[in-house]
This record gives sequence, structure tokens and C-alpha cells, in this order.
Amino acid sequence: MSKKHKISLTEEQLVFSLRNHEKIAIEALYDMYSASLFGVISRIVIDTAIAEDVLQETFVKIWHSFSSYSTEKGRLFTWMVNIARNLAIDKIRSKDFKNQNKNQELENTVNSIDEQNNTVYKPELMGVKDLVETLRPEQKSIIDLVYFKGYTHVEAADELGVPLGTIKTRLRMGIQQLRKHFN
Amino acid sequence: MEDIRAYIESGILELYVLGDVSPDERLQVEEMAQKHPAVKAELDEIERSLEAYALKNAVEPSENLRDRVMGSILTNFGDDNNFPEKPHPVNHKVVELTARKETNFYKYAFAASLALLIASTVALVRVYSRLQQSNNQLEAIQLQNQHFSNRVNLMDRELGIFRDPSFKLLKLQGTAKTPASVVTVAFSAARKKVMIDMGNIKLPENDKDHQYQLWALVGGKPVDLGVFDAKNDSTGMKEMKPIALADAFAITLEPKGGSVNPTMDQMVVLGKF
Repeated sequence: MSKKHKISLTEEQLVFSLRNHEKIAIEALYDMYSASLFGVISRIVIDTAIAEDVLQETFVKIWHSFSSYSTEKGRLFTWMVNIARNLAIDKIRSKDFKNQNKNQELENTVNSIDEQNNTVYKPELMGVKDLVETLRPEQKSIIDLVYFKGYTHVEAADELGVPLGTIKTRLRMGIQQLRKHFN
Repeated sequence: MEDIRAYIESGILELYVLGDVSPDERLQVEEMAQKHPAVKAELDEIERSLEAYALKNAVEPSENLRDRVMGSILTNFGDDNNFPEKPHPVNHKVVELTARKETNFYKYAFAASLALLIASTVALVRVYSRLQQSNNQLEAIQLQNQHFSNRVNLMDRELGIFRDPSFKLLKLQGTAKTPASVVTVAFSAARKKVMIDMGNIKLPENDKDHQYQLWALVGGKPVDLGVFDAKNDSTGMKEMKPIALADAFAITLEPKGGSVNPTMDQMVVLGKF
């Protein structure tokens, strides 16, 4: 599937056709969001094959539980990324997965996350460097821990040895930086 | 307005977007977003930035995964049951289905009971008629049995009479009036018994106004020994009135019930010792 053939819809069209169970909706959904979602999943589930299983489960779950999504509660991607993150965390905490010993322990240091970012990120992804420069390291590590690794802010505070209030502030500041950067 | 600002700056909205809030906090944020456009706008901004951040950090899954995902979702695409429905209609339908299942169960149970009842009734009627039949047969057999035992008793008695040495058999021969008539009488002086062998009498049948009367002649005088009817199908030994002594026996045809004295010209048979 080359990029030329990828289907893209506006979020309103997408939500509408997903509600109507149109085939094109799930195709568009996959083309528009699979990479973003896989970015989150593959940072939690390191094994690519298992991460792809989780991505598949994510789309199946999105499709079957779409009725529980409401535009009033926020953007579609926010809803989907939470599903993907939860499924990924469920996967690495499941007995099967632990037995396979393929998981990377949640006690991963921030450094290892950064290492992953450098190694797993595909070179064609533009702007990552800009971003790294935009975000201060302490902001980035918190955002990555919570957004990409599925830590709660309480766990992140423990992990980083930083007070809860500081965690919240850094999260907010980091996201403010992102807003500036993307606008 | 200050409160809203403080709320926005508290960092709760970021945690909400990151899915890191309790259910209570989630409801609170959603309520605030509905009430205050500023909160809603802030949420939207946070969501957009994180979405863009995710896009920046996107990783392409392998190309064949798309088909796999489409396959797993669209395999049963034509099946309406696989489509997500709004929660309430789904619940409603489920309840309805359960109810229907119950109804069906009772329907089938009722039909089954009814069929069973009909089958039982038919079987009962059959068994009853069989029972009736068997009872009838049994009755017939008992009747026959009775008949046979009667016959056997009778014959025993007859045999007894013939074996008893005190019984004497006397053949009463027809008179000039009815020369063909023969009646056999058994008499035991010791037992004072007189019997007529009904199975072996040859007398014209009497009409309903007349009966035959047996007489014993004792010292030339007739003694009444009772009346009887002569029929072709008579059997057995008929015991008459007792008498200890007799010189001869005679039978006359008398008006029904018998007479005090024999009507001599109606004498049919006579026999002497």
C-alpha cells in the first residue's frame, strides 16, 4: 500500500462514517492513524510482532466500541490513543507476555527511552530534532513516560524522584512548548 | 474567571488528555469543559499538540498489517451483529432476546406437555380397553370354569348314584298311550331318595299349563313325589320328594303344579320292581 492510495477524511467525516459502520471509515482510520498509534504501542511493547498484534487489537476494539466515543468528550485521536496505550500496557502486564520474557520492565530508565527514541525512530520522521530542541529534557522525559510509556503521573514522580506538583507543572509546560512548536 | 484560569493551570486537563485521571476527575473535567468554553478550548489545544507529537513520533507498522487488520475487522462485515450499536438499543435488544428465549422455552415446554398428555391419554384408553377385554375373557373363562365344575360335580353325583349300591335303577316303560316313552328312575330305599335321570328321559314336551308328576305306588296307593318339566335339553339327575318304600313308580301328565291324586288316563310311563 503506497502512500498515494491512502485514504484521508476530515475528523467529522470519519466519525460520521464510523458511526454508520462504513467500510471506508475503518480504512481511512487505519491510513490516518495507524502510524501514530503504532508509535505509542511500539514504545511500550518492544517486540514488533507483538506490538503489531496490539495495533490490530486496537483497531478491532475501536471498531467494535465506537459507540462509546463521543465528540463532546474530546478528539478522536485522544480516545484512540488511550485505547492503544491501555491495550499495550495490558499486554506487557499479561502472564503470557511475562512468561515469554519479551517485555522490557517498566523500570526502564528515562535514558533507555531516549535511546529507543534514537534507535526506533525512523529517519524519515522529520522534525524530531527540532522537537528535542524545543522540549527541555526534563519535560520530554515526563511527557514520554506518561504519553508513550503509559506511566501515571504518580509513577512518573516515583521514577524520576520528583514531587507530584513538579511533575504536573513540567507536563503542562512541556505541552505548552509543543503547542507553540506545532502552531 | 480567575478560578477557571487556576483550574486550567492546575495541570488536570493535561492529565485528562493523557488518560491519567480518576473517573470522578474525568466527570469533573467533562462538566467543566461543557460549562466553560475556555476549558474546552484549552483541552482541544492540549489534544492537538499531543496528537501532533504522536504524529512526529509515529512509527509505520509493516505494510501487510493493514490487510490483516482489515481482514480481522471486515471478515464478518456483512453480519450486522458485528457492528457496534449505540449502548442503549443493544441493551434493550439483549433484554428482549432473553425474554423471547424464555417465552420460547415455555412455548416448547407447553407443547411438549400437551403432546405428552395426548399420548398418555391415548395410551390410557388403549390400556383400559385391553384391560376390559382381558376382564371379559377372564369372566368368560371363569363362567366356563364354573360350568365345567358344575358339570363335574353333577357327573360326580351321577357317578355316586350309580356307584352307590343302595340305589336301584328302574326303567319306567311307556304305557299304551305313549309307547315310545322311557324314563329312568333311581331309588334308594336306605337313603330315601328318588331321582329322575333328566338327561335320558323320552317324554313328549309338556305345555306351559301342564307338568309331569311322579308317583310312587306304596301298597297300591299313589304317593306324590313332585312335578317336573320334560325338555329336550334337560340334563342331570333331578331329585324328587323323599320316600322310603315303593313298589312301583309312575308318571302322569297333570295340570301345572300337580294333582292330589293321579289322573290315571294321563299316565305316560310305569315301572315296577
